[in-house]
Amino acid sequence: MKLNNYNQRLLNIEQRTKRFMLGALGAMLFALLLIAIKQGYLVRSTAIYFFAPNAQGLNQGMAVKFIGFKVGSVKEVSMEPNATVRVKVALDDDYVHLIGQDAKARLIKEALVGESVVEIIPGSQQVQQVTQNSVLQFERGQDASSIAESVAAQLQPILSDIRQITLSINNPNGDIQQTLKNLNQVTGDLRETVKQFTRLGASGNQKLESVHGKLDKALDSVNANLEVMDKAIPLLVGKAEVTLDNVQTATSDIKRMTADSAVELPAFIHNSNVLVQDSQDMLEGAKQSWPFSSWFRKPEAEVLPVDAYVPPGKP
Amino acid sequence: MMNRLQFFSLMLVACMLFLTACGQTAPARNARLELAADHSLSAQRAYNRGDYHVALRQYEMALQVDVAVENIPGIATDMLNLARVNQMLGRQDMADAYLDKLLQDNALEYEKRYLAAAATQKSLLLLTRGDVSGARLWLEKASAWCVAECTLAGVIDNTRAAIALRQNDTEQALHWADRAASSSRSAAPLEYANALRYMSEARLRRGEFATALRLADEALAVDKRLGLPEKIKQDLLLSADAYEGQGDAEQAMRFRRRASRIVAR
Repeated sequence: MKLNNYNQRLLNIEQRTKRFMLGALGAMLFALLLIAIKQGYLVRSTAIYFFAPNAQGLNQGMAVKFIGFKVGSVKEVSMEPNATVRVKVALDDDYVHLIGQDAKARLIKEALVGESVVEIIPGSQQVQQVTQNSVLQFERGQDASSIAESVAAQLQPILSDIRQITLSINNPNGDIQQTLKNLNQVTGDLRETVKQFTRLGASGNQKLESVHGKLDKALDSVNANLEVMDKAIPLLVGKAEVTLDNVQTATSDIKRMTADSAVELPAFIHNSNVLVQDSQDMLEGAKQSWPFSSWFRKPEAEVLPVDAYVPPGKP
Repeated sequence: MMNRLQFFSLMLVACMLFLTACGQTAPARNARLELAADHSLSAQRAYNRGDYHVALRQYEMALQVDVAVENIPGIATDMLNLARVNQMLGRQDMADAYLDKLLQDNALEYEKRYLAAAATQKSLLLLTRGDVSGARLWLEKASAWCVAECTLAGVIDNTRAAIALRQNDTEQALHWADRAASSSRSAAPLEYANALRYMSEARLRRGEFATALRLADEALAVDKRLGLPEKIKQDLLLSADAYEGQGDAEQAMRFRRRASRIVAR
């Protein structure tokens, strides 16, 4: 009788354990199902392709966006026999009708720092929508390094012009130095002439003819110098114009880049702040959880040690 | 014997318990208490590097927050620390006022260990002013409050030694200082050095110059390790007196010169 009871109890325990295990298994399957839904395994999609010259910045799993919304993801990045890169993209069927056959795939960065995404640039509305295995054109968007290269390329001629002008100014045989020398000479001649003219004025009109001759000579010298300056100034003006053109081009590029960044930078800074805040929250949460809570003790206010030192010499 | 099903069941339960333990979070302090603790910690850092003005400001802010949420241990800690910092800044009256606020507060009930600390500080303050009887009175109160979880035994003994020295009772001074040295040798180097200094001074007054010199030398080593300029200067002066007592005027002069170069900052 007792043995029967014991067996019955064992059977009950076994039944309960089985039910418990089945429950746990069910919960795990439910969790897996949720993960599959979240990962998009159960979403119907259309595979399309594009070909890129290289795989730089292209990764499996990266998001594919259309007018800012995620419409799919990169499923495969593989190398073709002709050394091009074939990229397979899975587009959600819900959005396929919005993308024409003439749409383009562009690799861009949504912010200055962060993951790249493939953006679908919509084609014309009249053209037929993409279908399974359609091939899109591919282009790369400008990233920070290419913008920096472009700026560097724009600045290079400006710098070389400035260097050339500086060399020209410093060159003793250069136009500017020669002009200055000639001007000095003219000034000296004129001073001498004025002295002689004064002397002549004092001694009367005897040497007026000689002075006239010297004045002619001085004027000739001035004319010659002015001719040199006439030649030099257009050259300088030309160089200055080129320089100013380059500066203007660079300025407009910088302005355009600043305008482009003006939209992205606040979002980037905001995102970074959110990221830092999130990280802090996570760290705080982790620090309060077992087992980390025992590693990071909360700082407590402590009483400063009482010091029984009494300075000598005081009453 | 455990069959496979039971084993797996046990493992599953263990895993669930483990995950539950992972999910446990430590009881969180509210934001104001966190703020008060932050102020208090930065004050302590400032105090440790000798930046007493910053420490004062930070402790005042901590006290404001603790008073706002009536954090009684926090209020006691802040007031004790404010008294200490004011004392270091030479503002004896302010230090006294903070200690009186704590000791005469009838509205809040502070733990005895805080009252013991306040009474000891008060006693030392009075002794510095030369009020030996007042110092003795407050020290007795401190001793009465210093019961469980009280770490002030060494300080109280040293204060007794200091009082005895003021009364030129070298026997008592040596007794209390020796007791203080024994209890704080490994636990509290600050008090150990104080005890050595008091013993050195007592020996010096008894004419035992060699022992006084050895004790001052040991105190100097500890004070140098702790980085306490005023005490280093005092140790050097004690050594100078001991050398002088031994008739070594040259060494005495050397130690006095060393002491004169030390400027507290």
